[in-house]
Amino acid sequence: MVSPAIVAVALIAWAFSVHLPLVYTVLGLGWLLPTLELIGYRSGRRVYVDVAHGLSSYLIAVYAIGGVFGTIVTVFLAGLLPVFTNIAGVLLWPVWGVAIVFGVAIALPFIGFYNRTFGRVSPMRHIAIGYGMAIALTVIPAMFRLVFAYINYPVGTSITPSSTSNTGFTLSVNVMEALSNPTYPPLLLATIFGAIAMTGILVSSIHGWRYTSSRSEYHEVGHRVGNMVGLTSGVLYSIFAFWYLYTVYQYSPTMAWSIFGHPPSYLPSAFYSVYKPTFTLSWMLYMNIALGLIILALLLISLKVVSRPVEALKLVLTPLLMDSAELMNGLAHMPYAVVPPVSAAEVLIKTYGLDFTLNVAKWLTVSQLLTPEINALLKVVSVEPGLLVGSLVFFAFFNVLLLYVIYAALSWRRTTTAMGV
Amino acid sequence: MPIGYILLPAAWISLLDEARWISAVGVLAHLGLASAFLGTILMAVVAEFLYITRHDETWRDKARMFSVVSTIFFGVGAAFGTLVEFGLVTIWSNFITIIGSAIVLPFYLELFAFLTEVIILPLYVFTWSKIKNAWVHWVIGLAAAFGGYWSAYNILAVMASLSMRPPGLIVQNLASTTGKTVAGLTDYLVTWAKPTDVWNMFWWGANVFIFHGILAAAILTWSVISAIYLYGYLRERRPDQMKVLRVTVPGVAIMTAVEGFILGHEQGELVFQFDPLKLAAIEGLFWKGLKVDPLMSLLVYGTLNHAFWGYYSWPADVRPPLAPFDFLPIFYLGFMVTLGVLLGVWSGGLSLWYLFNGFFSRFNWARAIASFLERTGPYAMPLFAALASIGGAVTAESGRVPFILVKASPDPNGGPPVVSGVPIYSGGLINPTLSLPGWLVALVVIVEVAMPALAVYMVYIYIKHRAVREAQVVEY
Repeated sequence: MVSPAIVAVALIAWAFSVHLPLVYTVLGLGWLLPTLELIGYRSGRRVYVDVAHGLSSYLIAVYAIGGVFGTIVTVFLAGLLPVFTNIAGVLLWPVWGVAIVFGVAIALPFIGFYNRTFGRVSPMRHIAIGYGMAIALTVIPAMFRLVFAYINYPVGTSITPSSTSNTGFTLSVNVMEALSNPTYPPLLLATIFGAIAMTGILVSSIHGWRYTSSRSEYHEVGHRVGNMVGLTSGVLYSIFAFWYLYTVYQYSPTMAWSIFGHPPSYLPSAFYSVYKPTFTLSWMLYMNIALGLIILALLLISLKVVSRPVEALKLVLTPLLMDSAELMNGLAHMPYAVVPPVSAAEVLIKTYGLDFTLNVAKWLTVSQLLTPEINALLKVVSVEPGLLVGSLVFFAFFNVLLLYVIYAALSWRRTTTAMGV
Repeated sequence: MPIGYILLPAAWISLLDEARWISAVGVLAHLGLASAFLGTILMAVVAEFLYITRHDETWRDKARMFSVVSTIFFGVGAAFGTLVEFGLVTIWSNFITIIGSAIVLPFYLELFAFLTEVIILPLYVFTWSKIKNAWVHWVIGLAAAFGGYWSAYNILAVMASLSMRPPGLIVQNLASTTGKTVAGLTDYLVTWAKPTDVWNMFWWGANVFIFHGILAAAILTWSVISAIYLYGYLRERRPDQMKVLRVTVPGVAIMTAVEGFILGHEQGELVFQFDPLKLAAIEGLFWKGLKVDPLMSLLVYGTLNHAFWGYYSWPADVRPPLAPFDFLPIFYLGFMVTLGVLLGVWSGGLSLWYLFNGFFSRFNWARAIASFLERTGPYAMPLFAALASIGGAVTAESGRVPFILVKASPDPNGGPPVVSGVPIYSGGLINPTLSLPGWLVALVVIVEVAMPALAVYMVYIYIKHRAVREAQVVEY
């Protein structure tokens, strides 16, 4: 029998695995498109603007599908980890609020206006709209990554014993202090440059594939620029990812143990039982490094020769690396949803005693936050397992259908016969 | 003392009001967008069916246009849904625990509906020139529409449970019974008597609520479509406009009749059973104690001498608010009932005129009435439909305040039924750390109003430039 925690984590991981490549693409396109336009207008080469225009029509579709999967993630979190999501909502509501205002209320009109105003406003004004869109889109990961950083290392949190709370304590968070989380800057920077790199490589792969049959300047430019963006941003991503892993090692013992395969040197052996990870994921780290090197090699080859096998490999391996890195980052927290800091554990033991501290640690685990005794979905699935099996079949079907729709979108081309004014 | 009878601190009142305004405007705007999607995708599927069966290119053109329009409303509506969802997380944070512990199933099933919509709808829109077999394309459209209606079905099941506690759902006030709270955030724990009771979210009463809501969505959108085509027909007299009117106007009339005579009546019976306090508030039974109300008695029991508990029979802090200006009866009796009846009159009259024109055009009185209905229809029909929809939504949601998961139990002391549920105020749903400065409330409300306006503007742009923007889809 698979444990409820594994089922929950698997469902959330699946939704994230589809959601993240889509939103990475949205973020990457957000920065790439106005930059392409800027290059085009500065150099006087119309083809750059055409490439940007062609890609912009995909932006809305990817944003919409990515947004739907974001909703799926939220429903899974609310349904499977209700108390955790409730606490996160209460404690970090300004973060969610800012993310949603920028993510929907500001970014969506920007995307729409950017797409609709191609050729209808002055070039520089259109580029300004594009960068406005990019900034609005960047605020979304800026906020969500703060939450990711928080679960690595919950800076700014106060814990108070409570005789009335069923957990035995209450939490409060100073959001301004949470911003000083040392894992936050490298995580955010790695996300931004990783998104731009992934998008650049995907764009170069698609244009490169088409270039092999059409040999048009349009696809040549898309392929070349995509490769250059992928290469430069990929190098920056690697630097920030390395910085991020360093901070994770320093501040998040369970993650460090899971990712590097051994406990961090600063962790007292007395704490080993508390911080031992559920999964040892060092193999994923090595796999990700290997994938990164293969993609680098493919990019270098692609700069010299355009061939369908190389472009196809880039198209598949880049999202794979992105998903693998994100999964490693997410799963490394297990058994915790929020990894308790060593310094906080020491202070809590001194102030409130070992039992209280262990109770806090217990309530930060995924299995405890699932609250299986009151979790309606887990309960009904336990007596009606067909619901879960049926769900998995449906999810598999929709994944295949989604891949087909993406294929269809990429393989069909819109040729504008007349431009409305 | 009824469950949930907690004194409301004065400091919370303004915050609660602000939160309710934000949520109310957001929910109404989302309902507007969702209704527009449901109505237009239905129109697209109906039009394509008529194209296939009648071999009439007019209907293919209409179907294609409505499919794109529905996609615009879906896109903005889905994004707006995310806004509403985060509104729940940030404002009514403790609702999340209730989702997880009790009402998760419709949300879970909603995921599949949402996936159906988001994947199949683009497939429908982008394959107009790709799939040669028209029936196959129509089935794809039908699947996309099914996704939309299934989605509405699930969300309305949740809304139904907020107004009428499903059988088997147990609401415990932990703070008063055990002295404990859930993680120091909420006093209430909501669970099922047994795990499979979660399917009771779709019980008979919930289905009445659900189909009442779904039909209201279709009526609203088809009324607006009718009005737009009627406006154009009065000026241009194009045959294609009349073809659409001969479908949409009778459609509105039939749906309005079903809504009023069947579903509306059943819904009223359920309100009487589950929340007599809401009934008193929306019907304007503003007295204390039991009093005979002949009209209500006739509607509910078919007699003239039955007595009903008045609104003031319950303690002040369990009563839904009436301020400003007794708005609940105005929204219910004034907007929903009266304007709903008028919509039925307008759509019914015009339906008779369009479908049996040969017969009625012989009479001067019929021509005079039809002329009046036609001239006023473009303004009256959408106005009646919109206000009736708003009236219904406000009645359903504000009428149950200050509780969700409402249930009425007999008072053993002979008083009015004890109305209970999870309160929306502190200790119940609201985020205890929330603060809402006035500027933030104003900003959010502006955004909530601006987004549907944006969708309408995008539809306007699409329709205006459709002829010249026609894009071909080719494979290479």
